Amino acid sequence: MINIIQKRNIFFTISGILVIASIVSLLVWGLNLGIDFTGGSLLEISFSENRPESTAVLDALSEVDLGEIRLQPTGFSEYIIRTRDLSEEEHQQVLAGLREVFQSQDLVENRFESIGPVIGQELQQKAIIAIAIALIVIILYIAYTFRKVSKPVASWKYGISAIIALGHDILIVTGIFALLGYLFEVEVGILFVTALLTVLGYSVNDTIVVFDRVRENLIYRPKDTFVDTINHSVNETITRSINTSLTTLLVLLSLYFLGGTTIKEFVLVLILGTVFGTYSSIFIASPLLVVWNQLKKKS
Amino acid sequence: MGPYKRKNVFWTIGLVLLLAVFSFLVDWHASPLEQDSQGLNVPGWVPLSSFWNEFDYHLGLDLKGGTHLVYQTDTSDIDSRDRESAVEGVRDVIERRVNAFGVSEPVVQTNEVDGEYRIIVELAGVSDVNQAITMIGETPLLEFKQQNPEYSEQIELTPEQQQEMDEYNKQVELKAIDINNRALAGEDFDVLAREFSEDPGSKDKGGDLGWTSRGVFVPEFDRVLFEDLDVGQITPAPIKTQFGYHIIKKIDERQAVDTVDFEDLNDLEIGEDNNKSEVLENAIDNQEPNMEVWSKHILIATKSEVDFAPIVDQWENTALSGKHLERAYVEYDQTTGDPEVSLEFNDEGAELFEQITADNIGKPVAIFLDQYPISVPNVREKITGGRAVITGRFNLTEAKELVQRLNAGALPVPIEIISQQTVGPTLGKVSVNKSIFAGLIGLAAVALFMILYYRLPGLLSVLALSIYTVVVLMVFKLLPVTLTLAGVAGFILSIGMAVDANVLIFERLKEELRSGREFSGAVEEGFKRAWTSIRDSNISTLLTCAILIWFGSSIIKGFAITLAIGVLISMFSAIIITRSFLRVLNADKVNKHRWLVGRSLKH
Repeated sequence: MINIIQKRNIFFTISGILVIASIVSLLVWGLNLGIDFTGGSLLEISFSENRPESTAVLDALSEVDLGEIRLQPTGFSEYIIRTRDLSEEEHQQVLAGLREVFQSQDLVENRFESIGPVIGQELQQKAIIAIAIALIVIILYIAYTFRKVSKPVASWKYGISAIIALGHDILIVTGIFALLGYLFEVEVGILFVTALLTVLGYSVNDTIVVFDRVRENLIYRPKDTFVDTINHSVNETITRSINTSLTTLLVLLSLYFLGGTTIKEFVLVLILGTVFGTYSSIFIASPLLVVWNQLKKKS
Repeated sequence: MGPYKRKNVFWTIGLVLLLAVFSFLVDWHASPLEQDSQGLNVPGWVPLSSFWNEFDYHLGLDLKGGTHLVYQTDTSDIDSRDRESAVEGVRDVIERRVNAFGVSEPVVQTNEVDGEYRIIVELAGVSDVNQAITMIGETPLLEFKQQNPEYSEQIELTPEQQQEMDEYNKQVELKAIDINNRALAGEDFDVLAREFSEDPGSKDKGGDLGWTSRGVFVPEFDRVLFEDLDVGQITPAPIKTQFGYHIIKKIDERQAVDTVDFEDLNDLEIGEDNNKSEVLENAIDNQEPNMEVWSKHILIATKSEVDFAPIVDQWENTALSGKHLERAYVEYDQTTGDPEVSLEFNDEGAELFEQITADNIGKPVAIFLDQYPISVPNVREKITGGRAVITGRFNLTEAKELVQRLNAGALPVPIEIISQQTVGPTLGKVSVNKSIFAGLIGLAAVALFMILYYRLPGLLSVLALSIYTVVVLMVFKLLPVTLTLAGVAGFILSIGMAVDANVLIFERLKEELRSGREFSGAVEEGFKRAWTSIRDSNISTLLTCAILIWFGSSIIKGFAITLAIGVLISMFSAIIITRSFLRVLNADKVNKHRWLVGRSLKH
């Protein structure tokens, strides 16, 4: 049996460092917002003969430093290319680059226009409000359903611990992406937001399972000290936590390494979220309960 | 969960298997992702294969592509400072509208070309497009206008304009007299009409106006036609009306073909001894004589004030429009009981409304719906609180319909569709194929793991999870839920949670077995203990989904719906399917061969 609780300070320290590093990363570099958020340019080109494969076009475009490119075949022989805002010079570079690669074809530009973001301002605000409410509701629900074990730690504190663990996960994942954005120009769009929401759901789910075991042990084994109870609970659920995240990771890793390039960023968020979600449920959320308990004892 | 009857377990398993087979058949057919690939089809030897083949997956833009629509917005009535925000409003409204059920996941974005504002709407799947275009087309256009200070009923011309107009009209008169004389001299009326007449409705027919009775034309025209001219006669001089000078020829006249109103007939009393036809004749005779005339004319048009001064609209747009509408509802007028439509504005709209009413006290303010003034109340006082009422001759059905249309979103500016084209998947066909393949490999790895680690129960859980997957896909197909990558993420997550539920049960099971319990008791106890975990963790996820569905839109909503469906069905799968499978195992055999349940339980 691993004495997680005794060694909790180690884990708190590790997490603390990671969280602070993430916050710094976000403040300094910020997230590299992609065209879903910023809008950009839309270029539609027409090929005179067969339309080349999208991979070929993407290769041709990689010559110009464009960042995120979204490519859609349309009609019989056209492509719609969405990128960030292009200056006129860049616009011409793109056309020249394409024409050079596809010399045998006659390339015609059908349109070149600017496009707005896909996520409206109103929606962005609503999304943030929705998530805030979701967090509050989770705390309330946990407080309610754990009401029977309000001693020694009040049930709403379980909720707060779960949310802290969740916040920890999301901050670290976002921080990592800020770093990736800086180093490798990885951009975030709607998929990133969706993946984060997935992580939200997963992390809470995971944490509650551990807490449930704590609850059960508090009821069925009242003689143990609080610290021992938590330790037991965590150890008992470790196998299950690891197995569950392992199975999810099996699928995700398979998608990351064997799957298409366009979903890699999305899958990466899920992988990181799963790893940290499991880590936080075991090593952060439960030890936090002990901290609450000790704080209460001191006062 | 008390003792169960083995018989019931068999029934449950039977139903579950039936559900599984049904779901599998529904799931089977998958149309090809693009033209040259194959797709999956239910083979002919399966009964009702054509029925099963009708069900199709709704794949999103990123997976399959769809249609790309471009709408032109008409911002000419909007002040240039407000244009961009008005177009953003259009974007939001259209997105709300098209995504009414939260599963269509359209891509809607503003688009600017040379100062012209457009909206791009991309929708998955071609079959939904016409429906979407109709839905977008039905979006009401709500504008609030105040009187244009530059408008006045009397158009005043400058002296130069007045002189120009008078001179022009003089020339017109001379020309008309000339043509009139030519007609009188015997030139063919038809030919003259075709060449000179400026009445578009009749000139190509040689000026023919057909049979008309009094009241169809303006009084001056009628007087000449019915009273002055004889049959076959041409006006001696052109007749002036508000339109210009007319040369009129009366071709023929007749008594109107009599018609008797049936309603009047009902009023007639037909006594027993009266002859019906006699009564009818009398009724006809007693009617006013009705003359009809067949005529032709040539019009030489004059100019009026309107042609010189620019047309100034009576109304000008205010900044308040459909995008400020928070909601609409039906209310009843307190005195008359008539239904009316109440509009509630958002904060910005309330402020604007207050300003507009303050500026226009004593003057009318117009509410335009679909470019038609639907209500023109006079403002009596400044209105705070952001509420307006449309009173009008609504009946209840009309009021309810209007409220429904407005609540789905009201446009601030008119839009018009200008192009439509098909687009392929953004993720790229190669990427999608690879990802499907990778996903399947991942799932196979999971199945292998479950069997190796949990052995017999693991095998059962793989079976249960397969059934789970098949059922969820069926629900996605039937609802339908448009699957995008985000939706697939929700689905994968829910599979993870379904596995989780199974793992929870099995871990508990092993614990109970280790503590010495025999198998069937361990199953029940393990289940009972695991259930609270499953319930609480899944409910918290469902609560999150509910909030995201309520507040979010497009991708967030779609993701939350797929996740919610997945979680609900996974709970069902764990409670019913896995448990039944475990129960059906012959407890004695398992107790003898403990190794079936796990390595650590060999002895």
